[in-house]
Amino acid sequence: MNGFWSAWIMFLVVFNLGLTFFLYIWGQRVRIATLPDGTTGHVWAHGVLREGLRKLPLWWVLLSAAMFIAAFIYLVLYPGFGASEGALGWTSHKEVQADLEANRARLAGLLQQLDTGSVEQLAGNAEATAYGQRLFIDNCAACHGRAGHGNQVIGAPDLTDGKWLYGGDGATLMASIQDGRQGTMPPFGSTFDADGVANLANYVLSLSGAAHSPTRAAAGKDNFTVCSACHGVDGKGNQTLGAPDLSDSVWLYGGDLASIETTIREGRSGVMPAWRARLPEHDIRAIAAWVYAQSAHEAGASSAGGGAP
Amino acid sequence: MARGYRGYKYFEAIEKNAGLLGILTLIMVSIGGLAEITPIFMEAHAVKPALGVQPYSPLRLAGKDIYVREGCYLCHTQMIRALRAESERYGPYSTASESVYDRPHQWGSKRTGPDLARVGGKYSDEWQRVHLKDPRAVVPESNMPGYPWLSKALVDPDEVQTKMRVLRMLGDPYTDEDIAGARKAVAGHTEMEAIIAYLQGLGIDNVPQAEAPAGAKGAP
Repeated sequence: MNGFWSAWIMFLVVFNLGLTFFLYIWGQRVRIATLPDGTTGHVWAHGVLREGLRKLPLWWVLLSAAMFIAAFIYLVLYPGFGASEGALGWTSHKEVQADLEANRARLAGLLQQLDTGSVEQLAGNAEATAYGQRLFIDNCAACHGRAGHGNQVIGAPDLTDGKWLYGGDGATLMASIQDGRQGTMPPFGSTFDADGVANLANYVLSLSGAAHSPTRAAAGKDNFTVCSACHGVDGKGNQTLGAPDLSDSVWLYGGDLASIETTIREGRSGVMPAWRARLPEHDIRAIAAWVYAQSAHEAGASSAGGGAP
Repeated sequence: MARGYRGYKYFEAIEKNAGLLGILTLIMVSIGGLAEITPIFMEAHAVKPALGVQPYSPLRLAGKDIYVREGCYLCHTQMIRALRAESERYGPYSTASESVYDRPHQWGSKRTGPDLARVGGKYSDEWQRVHLKDPRAVVPESNMPGYPWLSKALVDPDEVQTKMRVLRMLGDPYTDEDIAGARKAVAGHTEMEAIIAYLQGLGIDNVPQAEAPAGAKGAP
């Protein structure tokens, strides 16, 4: 703030406080002429009401004095009088910094564990997973859902079914969150005609034992060599590439015939954003621990390893 | 008359003259605004863009105006306040230089939806597309309306070029090549693509990368 504007504000503060203080003092001392009947001679409502005179009530006088004192103390302690920084040196930026530091100090024990522990260890730590769950809801739930069950509309994987595109160990979870993932399946709509796509989709369905047409599946089997480069000869997927296992009952974009045909024809492109620049590492580890805990819990509960909703 | 009675006549004049009372009241109530608003208003030109921050690319510029047209600011702010809860949730508090190319700025004040000042990169483009078309497809509890028509309308290249020329008159450093290239940059793009480009740059394109996001949040 430059000198002129500082002076401008000082002038307005002095003018405002000075004028109101003058009125405050003067209002109690001024003598007002009265008529013999004790009124001021001001009449209202055609003479029905006449204005009398009373001293200002004590509560009003004291309250006003308290407000002048409060204003003066405020101007001394806080920024307000021109460029004055106030005796306390308070700024909103310093306050938020202090609040953040106080909160970090309160969490120091937990953050220490998050900095030194592994994802697998922290998954058994209730405090760490509660912290991780809060962060998951704030940051991850928009795609993966509040409970981590995923969303087939955008191909966000279910994180609780024990099936992993890239791997479910702590280190891989950390890598997936920190650096993100980009899963791309190329479109094959120009490679195969409608029949070819339908045959291939039926063959894909047959891999997981889902309802399919055996004739079409048999016809599509040979063309699966194109797919096996990523999904493997037996369709079990490839975690190095993030190619999904086609032989289980878990589907990223839907496991009905129409969805699979669309996937083959148009391809898919799933993006998990990178979080390294958005969240500190200990926060990411807490999220990974919560996810790990959900997955371990659900995998133990369901027997056949599928358990897709 | 005694001396004490004389001062009162001025007060009486104000009390009995509604016009004078109105004018003097106006002067007194405007003091707060004159002290708090005028200095910042007059000094606004002193806010400079952070080093390395460029004005909006043509597609993002088109997206910003779609954001304004659809009234996104009525539910979403782009102003992370200097409060711990907001820093924890959205990232470091916003600074004036971040919105130096926003005409008008989109700070907003109604916080029905989350703050968007640093939403860029938080979600994938595909998530943004699905969410703008039908928010409940990805966020079941959302009460945001869908904007499916954005996928159908194309950005008008002439309009974008006109806007860039006007912004240059107002001081944004667009070059002749920038404006000439705008046609190619937006041609064939839908409004959906434009607004997604705009959203994905919030908190990224308007912040120098050395100090981008994390910051207050980042230090362990």
